Parts: sequence; structure tokens; C-alpha cells
Amino acid sequence: MSIAIRALSKRFGPFTALDNIDLDIQAGELVALLGPSGCGKTTLLRIIAGLENADAGQIQFNGEETAHRPVRERKVGFVFQHYALFQHMTVFENVAFGLRVRPRARRPGEAQIRAKVEELLGLIQLDWLADRYPSQLSGGQRQRIALARALAVEPQVLLLDEPFGALDTKVRKELRRWLRRLHDELHMTSVFVTHDQEEALEVADRIVVMNCGQIEQIGSPQEVYDAPATPFVYQFLGHINLFHGRAHSGWVRLGELRVQTPEYQNAESASATAYVRPHDIDLLREPEDGDTTIAAIVSRVHILGSLVRLELRQQADDELAEVEMTRDRYAADPLQVGDVVFAKPRQLRVFLNDGHSPELPVWLGDGDGI
Amino acid sequence: MMATISPIERAVSEPPRIRRLLIGLALVFLTLFLFLPLAAVFYEALRKGLGVYFAAIVDPDALAAIRLTLLCAVIAVPLNLVFGIAAAWAVAKFEFHGKSVLITLIDLPFAVSPVIAGLIYVLLFGAQGWLGPWLAAHDIKILFAVPGIVLATVFVTFPFIARELIPLMQEQGIQEEEAALVLGASGWQTFWRITLPNIKWGLLYGVVLCTARAMGEFGAVSVVSGHIRGATNTLPLQVEILYNEYQFAAAFAVASLLTVLALVMLAVKSLIEWQARQTRRAALAMKGEF
Repeated sequence: MSIAIRALSKRFGPFTALDNIDLDIQAGELVALLGPSGCGKTTLLRIIAGLENADAGQIQFNGEETAHRPVRERKVGFVFQHYALFQHMTVFENVAFGLRVRPRARRPGEAQIRAKVEELLGLIQLDWLADRYPSQLSGGQRQRIALARALAVEPQVLLLDEPFGALDTKVRKELRRWLRRLHDELHMTSVFVTHDQEEALEVADRIVVMNCGQIEQIGSPQEVYDAPATPFVYQFLGHINLFHGRAHSGWVRLGELRVQTPEYQNAESASATAYVRPHDIDLLREPEDGDTTIAAIVSRVHILGSLVRLELRQQADDELAEVEMTRDRYAADPLQVGDVVFAKPRQLRVFLNDGHSPELPVWLGDGDGI
Repeated sequence: MMATISPIERAVSEPPRIRRLLIGLALVFLTLFLFLPLAAVFYEALRKGLGVYFAAIVDPDALAAIRLTLLCAVIAVPLNLVFGIAAAWAVAKFEFHGKSVLITLIDLPFAVSPVIAGLIYVLLFGAQGWLGPWLAAHDIKILFAVPGIVLATVFVTFPFIARELIPLMQEQGIQEEEAALVLGASGWQTFWRITLPNIKWGLLYGVVLCTARAMGEFGAVSVVSGHIRGATNTLPLQVEILYNEYQFAAAFAVASLLTVLALVMLAVKSLIEWQARQTRRAALAMKGEF
């Protein structure tokens, strides 16, 4: 089932939770609503489910307006952040609940309910827990039971609110992959809310990045990571180095660095900020001609498993910068604390500080550094 | 490591001498003000032998008082049960204007002296009261009759269940109810299958407290009862009358009945608390994971 959201707004007193949201979700898609806490992502999910009412705007399921359909008639599956399992019921009864509360005419018989619940518990590989109570389960097991309970009513949309937020890292990674596999099997339109960019990048077909009640960018994981539309998206997804400078007549000067930015041809000494990912910086032993490098001193070296992260102190202004490279690359020239290096950004993106942003990132050619 | 440190050496623990002193003081206090009076009630009641004891209890006036006391409890408790759940549900699960006013109103019977509670009904329904002439004209007796006593009891016991449920329901939040609604349950189904099972221990506890108070209430009932023997005397009032007439053995015999009722209620309350703790512990174990 497809979902169309049109001009949706919601306020809580003086706080604007959602400001004129437009979003289309295709049938069978797995979409992540990604943003910091308080950005409105959970509110949006709850409005789609019918647990909150919007102040203005529309939500259409398969082109059909839902405003007058109460939550119990929307046929959505909702997985709550803290699972909200019924604590006084066994796992079996939790999963069976949605079937047992159906009106008598549509209620399946006891044998059918049993078969359905057993099928779902088999799907989540927890059939051996049917007689336990929620308090006897681990966090990851509860999460899967909550999902099975939501699937029991055969929803047309599956909505998940921070589904892995309360779990430890290892379980979270397992469940993430499991959810992706499950979605590929069931092909149910799914929307999940998360503040964890890694989770969104790994699981979702498309990511909706939200901030302050507005959508910053919609795109595939690769699009939002490689071509962030706004400074916010740049900073929220992945680590980032900032260089401050001025744009003038198609060029931006960032300290020692000078970069051509044709899109700012008309800029006159405008304040600008450049964004560079730590893995998009090459480190050279010698400076290059043409203002393409920044002199710095290595101030720290962290070896993080397969990655090496170096902290640099820029010689001009003492600002810190972060560079990441693979272990192999580092091994080719193992820099030590105190070494002088010349940092050459391979790819950077300049935004003027008035909110205007260019269409594409600036490429600086192939870096043949360390 | 922890096992080798005896509890005495923990920072918040007092030396044994002080602990013994404190426990001793508490015991002396309890003995003087609780155990002795309790023992005295039964001692006085049985002092003239079992014959006198049972004669006092099967006395027609005493039996009428027992019947009236139980009747009051049987009416007041279910009324306050329904009211208490409704009020707690409204306060805990919804946001609305005037919520704090409602909470204050629920607390009113705790704040007002029971005698004043009784007087309110005298002013309303008495011969000189607002509704007195109209009631007299239609031959409806409220004051100095069973309806007045029941009303006074309902008023005084009104906060017990609501007050017990409000914090419990607020703590539980509305997530399970929301989950039930999303799964297609109606409001009624959600209440019976989700809300009620979750509050059952708190509810039972409130019912026990409410029952104990309904049977033991003296002040408010005394003002509206009129003290008509065999008709408008509850057990506490019967005790007072017997005592004032110097029938000490009978007074204590009837008092011992009330005491037994109270002890039974205390036992039930302890049992419920124990059960609720078990359930709570399981719930906490679940939250501990987060």
C-alpha cells in the first residue's frame, strides 16, 4: 500500500512538531525517518498510524483519505519503542490479541488462531517461547514478539518507532539485518523511525532526513550520504570537518586553501563553510602548488580496528581536523604524532552561510597522496 | 568482595547499640498504643464469659447494626469502585482542562472533617435544610434513615480507590492501551483486557481500604444517623451507645467484632501487597533491560 502525505502540520502548544510535510511512500518500500530527537519523526509516524491527529494536511493510503478512519480501522502494524507488550499475557496471547478482539463475524476460530500464532512465532524463530511472559524475555526477544504481534493482524503498513533503540549494539546489528530480510520476504510497506544514521543507511531503501519539523532531504542511502542537500544533512550523517572562509567571484578561500566554485560566480565576499568527510582527505608529505593543501601537525593517532583516525592541528589557526584512512594505507607511510603533513581534501562541499546551497559537490581531482 | 563485608560495616548502618535502642523504642511504642488496646478489647469483651459475649452479639439491636454496617459497605464500595476507576482513568490517560480541579475535588473528603461531611447532609436534607420541605412533602426520608447513612459513608470513602489508582495508572502510561487500539481492539475491549488486568492489585488494595473505612466510619454517620436503635445504628454507633449505658462487656463484644473485621481487612491488604510486589518485581525486571 502506498502512503501520500500532503502539507501535514502539527503543533503541541507553542512547539511546532511538523511543519508542512510532503512525502510519498511507495508500496513495498522500506523507508527510514531519520533525525535528531525532537525533530518530529515520531510524531509523523504516530499521525500515520492514527495515534495522533494532525492540525492540518492529509494522509492518503492508496490514494484514499484517512482522516476519518480511527486507528483501529487503519490496518497498520505498530511496533513501539519500548515494545508495549501486554505484561499479564503470555507471548502466545500477546500475538493472538489482534485476532481475538475482532468482531465475532470476522474472528477466526481457535484452531485458526493457534495456527496463525504458531506460524508467526516460527517466522521470528521464537516458537519455543510461546508460554513465557514478557518479563521473562530478553530485549531482543521482546522486540521480535512485538513485531509478530503487529504482523498478526495482517497490516497493510508496518510502522516501527525506534525499533532497536533500547537494545545493545550486538543485538541491534543482528535484528537490523533480520528486519531487512523479513521485509524482503514480506514486501510490506514499512516506515521506521531512528536517530541512528548507521541503522538508516544499512536497512532502508530510502531515507527521509528530518530536522525541526521539516524534511531536509529524501533519497537513497547513497544519495543522502554522498550528496547531502543541506549543511544539516552533511553534519548529521557521518563525521565531518568544517573549514570557514569567504566566497568571491566563483572562488572560495579557506585559509591556505583556494577552491573553484562556479556556482557562486556572483558571490561577493560571502561568508562560506566547506564540509569535508574525514575519509575524503589525503595527507601529503610535501605541499602542492596552487593552494590545494593545508599545513598541519599530527596531534593524535587512533587505531580503530580496520581504520586509522588521525587528529590534525592546522598550523595557521590551531583548528582541529580529523582524517580517516584504512590500515593498509596507513601502513604505507605510518605518520607519527608531531609529523608535519599537508592535508588535501579530495572532495568538499561549500555552502554559503545564508542558507543557499549548490546542486552538486565540488570534485578536486584525484588525490595521489599517502 | 561484598560477601565478606558484614552489613554492620556499611556506611549507612548504625552501631548495634543504637539499632537495638531504636528497635526497642518502636516496640515499646507499638505495645503501648497498639497491642495493649487490641488485647484490652478482647479481654474486656470476654471478661464475663462467652455466654455474655455471644448474648451481646446476637442481641437484635446488635444484629441490626451488623446488617446496616454491611449494607453500607455493600453499597458504598461498588459505587466508589466505579467512580474511582472512571476518575483515575480520566486523570491518568487523558489531558483536559480542569484536571487539577478534579484531583482536588477527589481529595476533598480527606481534607474535610467527617463531622462536617455529615453536617453538609443535615443542611441539605434536614427539616430546615434546602431540600427538607420538598422531601417531607413527598414523604422521602433521607436524614435519620438508611439513605442518609449510606450517603455519608459514600462521601467519606470516596477518595480511597481513585487515590490508589491514579499514581498507578499514571506510572503505567498509555502504551499498552495504544498497542491494543492499533491491533483493532475497541475502547471497551481495551479496558477489560488491558487496563483492568494491569491495575487489579491496586484496585483490590483500594477496595480493601475503602471497605475497612466504610465499616468503621463514625463521625459523619453519627451526625446523620439519629441513633435509632435497631434501625439507624451502625456497628461503631452501637458500640458508643452500649458504652454510654455502662454495658461495658456488651460494648467491647460488639467492638471486638469490628476489630476482627479490621484485622481480616489488614490480612487481606498484606496479602494483596505481597502479590502486587511479586507482579511489580517482574515488571521491573522487564524495565531493567533498557
